[in-house]
Amino acid sequence: MTALSDVIAAPRDRVHRARSLHWVLALLLGLAALASLEVGATDVSLSALLLKLVQGQELSHIEQIVLYDIRLPRLAMGIVVGSALAVSGATMQGLFRNPLADPGIVGVGAGAGLGAILSIVLGSLLPASILAVAGNHLTSVAAFLGGWGSTLILYRVSTRHGRTSVATMLLAGIALGSLAGAVSGILVYMADDQQLRDLTFWGMGSLAGASWTKVFAATPLILLSVGTALCLGRGLNGLALGEATAAHIGIDVQKMKSIAILSVAGATGAAVAVSGGIGFIGIVVPHVLRLASGPDHRTLLLNSALLGATLLILADVIARVIIAPAELPIGIVTAVLGAPVFLWILLKRRGLVEL
Amino acid sequence: MTFQAENIRVSYGKTQVLRDVSLTAHAGQVTAIVGPNGSGKSTLLGAMTASLPYTGRVSINSANIKALKPWELASQRAVLPQASRLAFPFTVIEVVRIGHQAGSSGDDPDVPMKALARVGMAHYANRTFQELSGGEAQRVMLARVLAQVWVPVLNGQPRCLLLDEPVSSLDIAHQLQVMEIARDFANAGGGLIAVMHDLNLTALFADRVAVLSDGQNIAEGPTADVLNDEILSRAYGCTLRVSALPSTKAPFILPHTATA
Repeated sequence: MTALSDVIAAPRDRVHRARSLHWVLALLLGLAALASLEVGATDVSLSALLLKLVQGQELSHIEQIVLYDIRLPRLAMGIVVGSALAVSGATMQGLFRNPLADPGIVGVGAGAGLGAILSIVLGSLLPASILAVAGNHLTSVAAFLGGWGSTLILYRVSTRHGRTSVATMLLAGIALGSLAGAVSGILVYMADDQQLRDLTFWGMGSLAGASWTKVFAATPLILLSVGTALCLGRGLNGLALGEATAAHIGIDVQKMKSIAILSVAGATGAAVAVSGGIGFIGIVVPHVLRLASGPDHRTLLLNSALLGATLLILADVIARVIIAPAELPIGIVTAVLGAPVFLWILLKRRGLVEL
Repeated sequence: MTFQAENIRVSYGKTQVLRDVSLTAHAGQVTAIVGPNGSGKSTLLGAMTASLPYTGRVSINSANIKALKPWELASQRAVLPQASRLAFPFTVIEVVRIGHQAGSSGDDPDVPMKALARVGMAHYANRTFQELSGGEAQRVMLARVLAQVWVPVLNGQPRCLLLDEPVSSLDIAHQLQVMEIARDFANAGGGLIAVMHDLNLTALFADRVAVLSDGQNIAEGPTADVLNDEILSRAYGCTLRVSALPSTKAPFILPHTATA
């Protein structure tokens, strides 16, 4: 038998690797942020502006607008939305104990989609006073309410005697999703050509509508939700052993489920509301990180936030540059880049690692 | 310490699966719960770990478990389920660490490796849990619960291990190894409750036995008093003969002598 002192030293510690990954990813995020400020439809570039500032020159009016009102809010929105999507994905996967789960499962996507479509197609029927208050943000508000509302309905449906059944939630989510899809279908059928165009682009997602108003509206809720989710690491690790065992090792399972579901609904609802439907980040990011540094949620969640933000910013840079001065919906970029990478990882790792 | 269950009733829908079952387990003893399939053994353990709704009272060190917070309970007792499925590719050592962090076994970072070594799985520390065979997985899970209550008596307070059929998928050598671990835990002052299928292992290792049949407790007491022809035949519904080797006092049950 091997001496105990020999084996104690042996375990290679993925936790350490995951912790050092925090710094690497933070650095990458910084670089991506610089790139995002540097490029765009105009030839205003960050390096030139910095040079000007260092030399004590005033920025021109256009340069100020491009930097402060277009690129900076867009960068800020990319960071909060990217981290919200990735952390929500990781949280859902932990909660459902399934690497394929994403926030769509708790009905956020379908509900938000229905809300957005309702506002685009039927928004003009609202009283003028409401329209005046909501203004351009009607679709965002409706998407958020739709996403949040459908999650609350699902949560109520699947909670009985103080226990939430994630299996019921999954099934009820499918039912509610089809219902929302059907209602959306009716609305799409009623929509005119311009509305159809708006709908389609909303579904593909974009950071193009970024403004400080949207950033300030979405950020507090996303920060609160993501911050809360980041604290769930220990609980989600326990849940990987099953609900009963999680309770046996001292986790208040029901409380954790409620917190997880509400924070996902808050983060994803707000993210979808300001940026539309952006896919793939929520599934690819946690998965790549699990392959890189293991499934320990105590580090996975923070790393997901960092990598999610980085990837979304980079995707946005590509979306802006590739057919400039026009731009692609970002959902297309995340899917075109994300899907092949994801497939490649799956093929490479096939047979070695269980999902 | 005593781990006590009083008048436990559990119903699945309209079917009552446990009817007024009581059980007392003392620190320093191995307490076995035996009985035929479907007699309610695992259900009783489920009630005692608050995994399912029950009426009656379960107490550890005379505190009602319903009044304790999950983490307070986790520092006093650990639970080994019958089977464990793990989501996500955690390594063996990571799984054991999750258990270690749950209890208050102190900051000794070597406990997870010591626990793995105790069940003979130290050399698998870096394997992915999902690659293990059923028996290996069961031993790793035992290491996880051992790491949770590594010190059987903490601050003068005995702690308890609840094991649901801990040897069900093990070969005979590892069955004995696991029962020795259970025995040692009790000898060191901890409480140990195990649901057992194997009557002979029960006879060899248990100090106290509770016999369940059809959701009722038909006997409870010191092993030698409880494991007799009459009680076992009644519980299992077939005629069993209990014998004893001249060299040891431990009774054994030879299936060859059973008549249905």
